[in-house]
Amino acid sequence: MDIPRVAGCIPGVEEIRPLDDSAYRGMLRVQVGPIRLALAGTITVEEQDRNAWRASMRAEASDRKAGGGVRARMTVALLPAEGGTELVVETDLSVLGKIGEFGQPIIRKKADTTMQEFAANLRAALGV
Amino acid sequence: MIAFDYRSPESLAEALAALDEAGDEGKAIAGGTALVILMMQRLVRPGRLVSLRRVPGLDRIEPADGEVRIGALATHRDVETSPVIRERFPVLAETFRHVATLRIRNIATVGGSLAHADPNQDPPVTLMALGARVRIAGPGGERRLPLDEFFVEYYQTALRQNELVVGLELPFPAPGSGSAFIKFLPRTADDYATVAVTANLTLNPDGACREARIALGSVGPTTLRAREVEALLTGERLTEPLLTAAGEAARRAVDPIADQRGSAEYKREMTGVFVRRAIRSAWARARGAGA
Amino acid sequence: MKISVTVNGSPRDLDVAPQRRLIDLLRYDLGLTGTKEGCSVGVCGACTVLLNGKMVSSCLALAGFADGGEVTTVEGLASDERLHPVQQAFIDYGGFQCGICTPGQVVAARALLDAVPSPTEEEIKEWMMGNLCRCTGYFKIIESIQRAAAR
Repeated sequence: MDIPRVAGCIPGVEEIRPLDDSAYRGMLRVQVGPIRLALAGTITVEEQDRNAWRASMRAEASDRKAGGGVRARMTVALLPAEGGTELVVETDLSVLGKIGEFGQPIIRKKADTTMQEFAANLRAALGV
Repeated sequence: MIAFDYRSPESLAEALAALDEAGDEGKAIAGGTALVILMMQRLVRPGRLVSLRRVPGLDRIEPADGEVRIGALATHRDVETSPVIRERFPVLAETFRHVATLRIRNIATVGGSLAHADPNQDPPVTLMALGARVRIAGPGGERRLPLDEFFVEYYQTALRQNELVVGLELPFPAPGSGSAFIKFLPRTADDYATVAVTANLTLNPDGACREARIALGSVGPTTLRAREVEALLTGERLTEPLLTAAGEAARRAVDPIADQRGSAEYKREMTGVFVRRAIRSAWARARGAGA
Repeated sequence: MKISVTVNGSPRDLDVAPQRRLIDLLRYDLGLTGTKEGCSVGVCGACTVLLNGKMVSSCLALAGFADGGEVTTVEGLASDERLHPVQQAFIDYGGFQCGICTPGQVVAARALLDAVPSPTEEEIKEWMMGNLCRCTGYFKIIESIQRAAAR
């Protein structure tokens, strides 16, 4: 599994660079109307199953200027399913700091649509 | 709050030029009650702030040619207390009266409220139900948009970066029209609504509904028209089964976000309840206002 | 940027950063600490001042909004060493306890009586709705305003 390629499927992700063999630095740009967040942080691979196509990752990113951030745990897996292969993406997201105060609900909604786009992009990239 | 270049132009042309020049970094401010909060939290960080407060001529509320024209810099309080609005659009005056507190209404402007595009706001709900059109100015001139087409997403409008809302146009209600605004807020009176509804109905002389406009606030990413509900009512007489069907259609029209004002399911349920009540109330008023 | 504001009747010329809020200009640049900052989002009313005669939340107004205009704070209610009738009534009828909301309350009440000299109880409640108080339960505030109106 090519983590940078997987992370690159998240809309708004830029500049994924390896830190060591299980961690990467990156930037995620998110916009809600006039609010533009530049979330800089790290993605750490916690588990990777090299036989099955499956990994779980932890991400932490913050916008220094806005004084808030996100923390997420994500699992992606390809599972055999009737008629082909199924892509399963599970995300557990916390919104922290000022961003959280302002609009937990809007950010959650944005996170939902972002994850849906991510899953669609990943499916296309994997050809499933 | 992060520093910015502050301009206080004294003409619309100057204001548009200052915005155009700033590109992505430019933001207009009028009353500032929404924008300053976002800037204090550093969620919005414009490089240039263009104050509209000194631009003349944009704060009038005037009847002309079968409609009322409201300038973008009219305050909420101006609309709430305007004699022509109270007489011809009492539901609109009442809607503006429900916004926040008097301190906010004294300074927050009609144009600013539209440009901010927060679906939790009350005025856009009634304005949409009344068929308002937005007047927009840009470097290339002016254009008009029905309010239905103005809101695009949460906090996003059809305004280009270098454009400004300069006014609103509201056609006078047709004979046989009645409207009702209901703001349901189970918590404090100065809060946003859990759900807000404005129903605006025009009846034929025989009592059947000729035209219905139903707008909803706080239950989607933008202020919404409940078009399926409107289609159900058109051509029909008011009956209990019709109202029940309308409530169900209203629940299908919304996509609420769960927050401290209610769960998504609660807001959806209350949409049905208050759409029914608003229709009932608007219908009674329309009957009373027969041609 | 340079601004000219008349504060409590005195013309002042100041040089402020564009992002300076009116409340900070009043409290820190002019030393008028009567105006309080309670919630910072325009809800509680502790920061109420009059801008060109109308009550606004000074925590949400940019200092630049006052340029060329007039601001009245709680310090500007009294004249010639005599308290404004609203202030005197709050003292006489127990309109405050801890006092933190009081500057906002009396400024708002003064604006009410300027606009509506003999308000009904309903009118008082509607006007004063945005000035929150954690101590009094509001009854004494309403009564103080009614008594001030009667004077």
